[in-house]
Amino acid sequence: MKFSTFTVRDWVYVAVFGALWGALEMTLGAYLHVLFPPIANTFFTGLIMAGIGVAIALVGRYFVPRPGAVLSIGIITTLLKVLSLGGMKIGPVVAILAEAILMELAFLSKTPPTRWRYVLAGTLAVGWNFFHKFVMMRLLYGKGITEVYLKMVKDGSQALGLDIGYAVAIIGVLFLFRVAVGAAAGWLAWRLGRLVARRIA
Amino acid sequence: MTSLGAQLNSGSYLCFLLWTLLLVALLPDGRQWLLLVIVVAFGWLSGRAVFQVLASRRFWLFILSILAMSPFVLGEADIRWGMLRLSWTGLETGLWMAVRAATLMLAFSVSLGALSVAQMVRLFDRLRLRGLGFALGVALNLGPVLRDVVEAAYHTLRLRGGFRRPARNARLFLITVIANGLRYGDDVVKAALARAFDPAAKLPQTSRFLGQADKAFIVGLAAVGVGLLL
Repeated sequence: MKFSTFTVRDWVYVAVFGALWGALEMTLGAYLHVLFPPIANTFFTGLIMAGIGVAIALVGRYFVPRPGAVLSIGIITTLLKVLSLGGMKIGPVVAILAEAILMELAFLSKTPPTRWRYVLAGTLAVGWNFFHKFVMMRLLYGKGITEVYLKMVKDGSQALGLDIGYAVAIIGVLFLFRVAVGAAAGWLAWRLGRLVARRIA
Repeated sequence: MTSLGAQLNSGSYLCFLLWTLLLVALLPDGRQWLLLVIVVAFGWLSGRAVFQVLASRRFWLFILSILAMSPFVLGEADIRWGMLRLSWTGLETGLWMAVRAATLMLAFSVSLGALSVAQMVRLFDRLRLRGLGFALGVALNLGPVLRDVVEAAYHTLRLRGGFRRPARNARLFLITVIANGLRYGDDVVKAALARAFDPAAKLPQTSRFLGQADKAFIVGLAAVGVGLLL
């Protein structure tokens, strides 16, 4: 990852996509976090924000096709979130950085990125939403993996209308749901990137 | 008395933040309040950021909401009145959750609040990431432009009957916002190039990342951290 190879245009585009993702986090993100209190189930808040944010960052990767571009967009978004009037919120900051790192991992290969690489990047990034809860519950609330797992199964059984005995199936469905949203975000980003490129050409 | 903040550089604040994150994750519940006391004390010694947070309504609303909700949603129920449930274990868990949350919020405010935007940009320069500092500056000033772009795109689509076909127009909306954002970006590129801005240029270092006082502070932090964990 060589940031010295970035041109002025690359950095400005990083700023544009970082600002877009940041603006989304500060408006829609703040609104959803007010709607869903901190210790209530934040499944949808995280999923909606991750899905849209990841799509924006991946469109950014389409216009700055260099290693480190998505990570830079994530860092700019994080700093905007930190400096925003809404103040410091640890959960979204950790999530944005983790998603940016995971998207960057998907673009590590030296072959030119394809639609499927975008789908992989989206899947990895939104898939983080599943593990985010375990990390944040440990960090913020001091809860162990077992407690988070049990609460997730309990909430999942209510949301999906499945018996609590099908714990593995519930966890699997919850994870696959995130994978599907991530894949759709990646697919959409590739398509949106091409459409925008055609528009500004 | 010279404040501690005047003697420390940005490296110390970032180390303090990482140190707090690590200890919040590793310390058992019973010792979390010690960490909170240390964070408040450091905030007090290094400036006034900690008092601004402690005086804010939003901070107390967040902390008290955790405390208020925890007996109803956490732990095994001890008392039940129909749909309503109360748990003493839940209240205890909520108390420790509130202490952790307060520690983290204060640590973030003390460390990142100590850095202004200009200091952050200088920090990126110091870390040889001048382009990232430049991007941060551009992104911070893009807010009003993006708001105008979003408003113009929204009203144009609405006046052309965009709400009748929401999916197609959501796509058009996104394309318009991103394309106009990039067009504005091109103007910024022209302005930066006209001023011969070079993101890879090496600048003379005017501010330090870590000095002698910072090194001593970090060693002290490590010692206190080990002491708390043992």
